[in-house]
Amino acid sequence: MNNLKLSALMLAVALSASQVMASDMRLDDSGRKDALRLWGVQFEELEYRYSDDDEELGVWNGDAFYGTDELKLRWLGKGEYAIEEQAYETLENQLVLQTPISTFFDAKAGVRFDTPEGPDRTYGVLGITGLAPQWFEVDANLYVSDEGDTSAGLDAEYELLLTNHLILSAALDATVAFSEDEEIGVGKGLVSTETGLRLRYDLIDRAISPYIGVVHERKYGDTADFARAEGGSTEDWFAVIGTRIAF
Amino acid sequence: MTRSLMAGVLGLLMPALALAGEYNISVDRVIIDTGDFVKEGIGYNGSSPGPVLRFKEGEEVTINVTNNLDETTSIHWHGLILPFDQDGVPGISFAGIPAGETFTYTFPVVQSGTYWFHSHSGFQEPNGAYGSIVIEPKGREPFRYDREYVVQLTDKHPHDAGRIMRNLKMMPDYYNRKQQTVGDFFSDVSEHGFMTALSDRMAWGDMRMMKADVEDVQGFTGLINGKGPDQNWTGLFEPGERIRLRFINSSAMAYFDVRIPGLQMTVVQADGNNVQPVNVDEFRIGVAETYDVIVRPRTDEAFTIFAESMGRSGYARATLAPREGMEGPVPELRDAPLLTMADMGGMHGMDHGSMGMGEDGMSGMDHGDMDMGGDSMSGMDHGVMPEQEEPAMAGMDHSNMAGMDHGSMMMSGNGAEDPFYAKGSGLVPTAASGGKFLSYADLKAQKPLYEDREPTREIELRLTGNMERYSWSINGIKYEDADAIKLQYGERVRFKFVNETMMTHPMHLHGMWSILDTGAGKWNPVKHTISVQPGTTVYMETEVDAPGQWAFHCHLSYHAASGMFRKVIVEGGPEQGNTAGVEQERVGGDV
Amino acid sequence: MKLSKFGVAVAAMSLSAAVFAGGTHGGGHDGGFGEAGKAEDVSRTIQVEMFDNYFEPEEIEVSQGETVRFVIQNNGSLVHEFNIGTPKMHEAHQKEMMMMVEHGVIQGGKLNEEMMNMDMGNGHTMKHDDPNSVLLEPGQKKEIVWTFSARTSMEFACNVPGHYQSGMYGDVNFDAGADAHASAH
Repeated sequence: MNNLKLSALMLAVALSASQVMASDMRLDDSGRKDALRLWGVQFEELEYRYSDDDEELGVWNGDAFYGTDELKLRWLGKGEYAIEEQAYETLENQLVLQTPISTFFDAKAGVRFDTPEGPDRTYGVLGITGLAPQWFEVDANLYVSDEGDTSAGLDAEYELLLTNHLILSAALDATVAFSEDEEIGVGKGLVSTETGLRLRYDLIDRAISPYIGVVHERKYGDTADFARAEGGSTEDWFAVIGTRIAF
Repeated sequence: MTRSLMAGVLGLLMPALALAGEYNISVDRVIIDTGDFVKEGIGYNGSSPGPVLRFKEGEEVTINVTNNLDETTSIHWHGLILPFDQDGVPGISFAGIPAGETFTYTFPVVQSGTYWFHSHSGFQEPNGAYGSIVIEPKGREPFRYDREYVVQLTDKHPHDAGRIMRNLKMMPDYYNRKQQTVGDFFSDVSEHGFMTALSDRMAWGDMRMMKADVEDVQGFTGLINGKGPDQNWTGLFEPGERIRLRFINSSAMAYFDVRIPGLQMTVVQADGNNVQPVNVDEFRIGVAETYDVIVRPRTDEAFTIFAESMGRSGYARATLAPREGMEGPVPELRDAPLLTMADMGGMHGMDHGSMGMGEDGMSGMDHGDMDMGGDSMSGMDHGVMPEQEEPAMAGMDHSNMAGMDHGSMMMSGNGAEDPFYAKGSGLVPTAASGGKFLSYADLKAQKPLYEDREPTREIELRLTGNMERYSWSINGIKYEDADAIKLQYGERVRFKFVNETMMTHPMHLHGMWSILDTGAGKWNPVKHTISVQPGTTVYMETEVDAPGQWAFHCHLSYHAASGMFRKVIVEGGPEQGNTAGVEQERVGGDV
Repeated sequence: MKLSKFGVAVAAMSLSAAVFAGGTHGGGHDGGFGEAGKAEDVSRTIQVEMFDNYFEPEEIEVSQGETVRFVIQNNGSLVHEFNIGTPKMHEAHQKEMMMMVEHGVIQGGKLNEEMMNMDMGNGHTMKHDDPNSVLLEPGQKKEIVWTFSARTSMEFACNVPGHYQSGMYGDVNFDAGADAHASAH
């Protein structure tokens, strides 16, 4: 057995003396040849809101991902929990696949589940997300519900560095519906906007950043009419306190 | 069995060697205390940094490396010329050293000078797995000194390196706390006027680039020989003595500007190769580079070795003193440099031709025209839209850049010049003393290692990346998607590095020397790591004299890990020599 | 007294004195450092070889008052200097040598004689013609005859920028019998 190996070895040595071919070379199986697989969890908003009508809300807006530069699986979640009523005004969960389409933008596709107090909806989601010129973070999505209604959402955010640790962020979320879905109180046209101004301080790296801020919510058109009919408000101002989390 | 037999056969064939040394290294989990924080890391023989390995030129070394970790490890002998299967890159040179096992490296030492070694597995090196190598020459040194010290620098970060990579991928500016603030904007307004300040901000914002993007990973403590600034590593001397300081930058990411206030330094070696001595007040040491200097303190006082990081976010400090416990004054950190448009010159997706810089400053710039659907920096992203981009680029006139009137723009560098930085670059270093700052242009080989000859061909390597995604690549392709670079044994290849990013990249070719083209012909210095500054093109030549396969990469840990890496295959080779190692490895693997 | 005057005169002949107005050549004032010797007084020849960048030998022994012929051979591939003086004088001279490099007089392995003789515009040239030193291109061989009339701390050195600092110098040691010569003088 050993003799056999030895002769094989001699043969190999004899061959190698005259030629080294790329095919003889070791293939990189160290893992370096595999795309980096990474994960991350982030809550852009995790806050307590107190409105000018003495309404109290617990609110979050977060996401988590796993994947490579080329393909990521991302969960996005939004929730507004009315503390007194013990009910979710908003509860959204999205699961999307995300892939780069240009230097600064990614495309996403997936599903969104809305399960607040009241009727549920499931949507198909198609969107782009990325960094626009002048440092605007943009997230634009198109939704088609299981009821056949279509809507679109645009989120934009801008950060102003007062210092390298004290950061003022301005966020604008707008929703437009292309058809009416009265059951969930959505009218055709501009549905609602949420504008927020938050002043945060990076306490521990960028992992924990407490903030205070103000948020303005407004409903428009038919949506506002539906809200009024329900006895709800169409415009609210909130004082918010919370923390941004990234890990 | 086969292996030992093989070794035996080889042993018989080899001439009897006068020198042979055996060394043992264990790879261990260690505690690293920087004075600012304590963390767990990886080290050698129980400490980080590991030992100083002292070899002698001509020695046949045997190094037994025992892996006490619970993961695969490896040791790469940075800058050493050796058979490729001893080079220590898992997946390229060998399979790596599995947990709990011992691997024996054997190779002849064919050179002298200052080098270092480090793990080439995962993020073990930034986590502490590095040490130094000092090789005494066969003959006399072409310089004299009374004593010598290794001065090994690193940028020790409180975070684990894997976490740093993840954070950078999540938020590329995660560690950048030198960004331009509202306050900076208003001071720009008062200095340059509102419109100039605004258009400057707009120009950078349009590119989605930060001029403060000089140091990606901040928040580290600079260490010298494992000691933080407060722990103050001290080297003793007698006044009047000549001291040789062997500077090694083992940082993951940080370049250092090094000076010893009160002492002139004479640079005598770079990357292990002797250079014609140059007197300097300060020098910049790139990641993975080494510089040997001779200093001569004549007075009975302490001198501070002060190494500021290039982005001024941290520093390392040590002391040369006649007696233990003495301290010299520690200077303040200088202001952080800012990138200028000149540093962006390499990003050819930007249509500089349309930026009417000549007459009316920035006002002629039409950003609307520049926007290519969120892809105006398309030079960085050829992989995505190759068809549309290339023809447009071909007609672009870069010569306009040269005529650009940087004077009419803000922050157009500090007026200092260095041929290895873009003209008007904000990164050009100047000496704190006002004196001489070492440039690559000052480096001349003491004795040419190779005959000067025409290169047989040129290979262009564009250094590319996308800061927002923190992905780095060569020619727009990450290592995971790239084919190997094939070289033929015996050729002399001219590599053309074109830095299209705004970061500095220390490019390191394993196994063969990098002859940096400084325009000095046969006196061009011979290095193992070559820094390529933003917006510049740098040439190096390599005599392809080492068969096998080798790594070739940016030595910034997180750039290499995110794709700025290549395998080089040297095809062909001499009749006898290292090639046997390939088969040995292969056959050995089947046993 | 006579000697130190001569020393100043030597210094004045060179560019250095003009540029660094005597002060930096202060080494010459501390009792002199010897003088150009006469061929007939030569008692001994010392061969000095230059390499890149060191001398062989790296120390010599002389007696005070002795006149030595130095035969200097440049076996390196760079321009080197052989200069006898005190450490202070070397330090001052290094600034002039730096200028010679900056003005392209010394170009690695070559000397630009034309540049050397060029009028600098103030009546001075960059001639390197002090009797205590010679400048050699690779392969050249030159001689200096020197009388070690003053017993002081002396070195022979190459002051091409960086060379001295990195160790291209040798010690001049005065032997024990030097006193006898001194009194005879």
